[in-house]
Amino acid sequence: MAQKVIKYIGRTTDFKGNTLWELVSNLPNWGVGRMVIRNMFQRYPEPCYMRILKVQAVDEQTDQIRKVRVTVEKTWRGVTQPKPVEIYSTSYKADYELVPQAEEAKFLSNQKKVAPVVLPTKIDLPPLLREYVKEETGEANPFMKVHFKKTPNKLARMAEAGEEPTLKVSMDLGQPKSVSSKLYEGLL
Amino acid sequence: MLRAGCQLLTQSTLPAVKTGSNGFALEFVRWRRKPRWLPVAKSKIFRVPERKKQTEEERTELMRLHNRYKTQLRSVRQYLREEVVRHEETSTVDHIVLTPEQEEAEYQALIAANAEWNATIAREREQRLAKERDEKVAYVHERLEARQLRDEERRERANEAVLREIERSKTYITREGLNAAIETALANPVDPNFAIDMAGNLYQGRTTSQLPEADPQPDQQALSN
Repeated sequence: MAQKVIKYIGRTTDFKGNTLWELVSNLPNWGVGRMVIRNMFQRYPEPCYMRILKVQAVDEQTDQIRKVRVTVEKTWRGVTQPKPVEIYSTSYKADYELVPQAEEAKFLSNQKKVAPVVLPTKIDLPPLLREYVKEETGEANPFMKVHFKKTPNKLARMAEAGEEPTLKVSMDLGQPKSVSSKLYEGLL
Repeated sequence: MLRAGCQLLTQSTLPAVKTGSNGFALEFVRWRRKPRWLPVAKSKIFRVPERKKQTEEERTELMRLHNRYKTQLRSVRQYLREEVVRHEETSTVDHIVLTPEQEEAEYQALIAANAEWNATIAREREQRLAKERDEKVAYVHERLEARQLRDEERRERANEAVLREIERSKTYITREGLNAAIETALANPVDPNFAIDMAGNLYQGRTTSQLPEADPQPDQQALSN
């Protein structure tokens, strides 16, 4: 018998792995204490993994991929989040992978951290608004505050008083990074 | 137009020339696209859309521009939002600012006006209540008088009945007069039977034979009327 050749048809996907229910339903004690990763997040050099704390089954809905409510301790790009995170709405994505217990050390020993990003606190006003504000307040060079909302997933922070920001923010296009400077060849 | 087209789809009598083999091949002239609620065309069912690859440099640059744009836009929105709040807090355009003394004076004036209204309404209310009280008293008096009249009438009627019975009791048969009454009754037998002749004359009694005489008897009555 000739070797079977699998030919995939249809749309391709970037996901790789199983849904969370497929993993959790086959494990003793629902996999509590085991390490799970999202393959999509393995693009980052810093370790991204989750450790299962609690599993709540959810009834299967017809014509839908079965979901499950799982509480995890999430480590995102080398930073473990202080609060447990609940995965439910994304649990149907076939992108989860169980880490064998022997390989967990690979993630745990990865000590890479994201380079700290310090945002400036002030940004220029847009040109026309700046003219209006100048006229109204008489201030020669008005600024506005930079909008930044701190969430557990955000690794950047605002500059403190007297601190030098690592990221320049202004009201223009800015300079491309060295990786993509080729795109602007002959333009800038 | 599209709805009309949809209804047309359900009709099976469409000419095959225009519609093709199935209803979904209906051609819209005004809108050149297939309406959203129609299923995928037969010719497109197995089409797999191409996924365009982004190079690393392109991806990095687009991400950088996106982040930059979002930061700028959100900063402007935050600035404008804060300006509105600041303006609302400090502006006196939509309301008049008063000193505490003026506020107190205005408050006292309002209290006085309110007290005046209360006094007016109290006066009106007292008048109304007094009038209602008088009306009620008059009504009660009227009802009491009517009651008295009614009682008197009833007593009078009862009195009359008693007198009537006393009057009638004179003819009652008493134990002493019983024998006499029996004898009287036996002596005067009453015969309620009677006969009538063709002329309507009445003849009392069943056994008492009374032949008609020339002049009519006083107990003979004409029944014709």
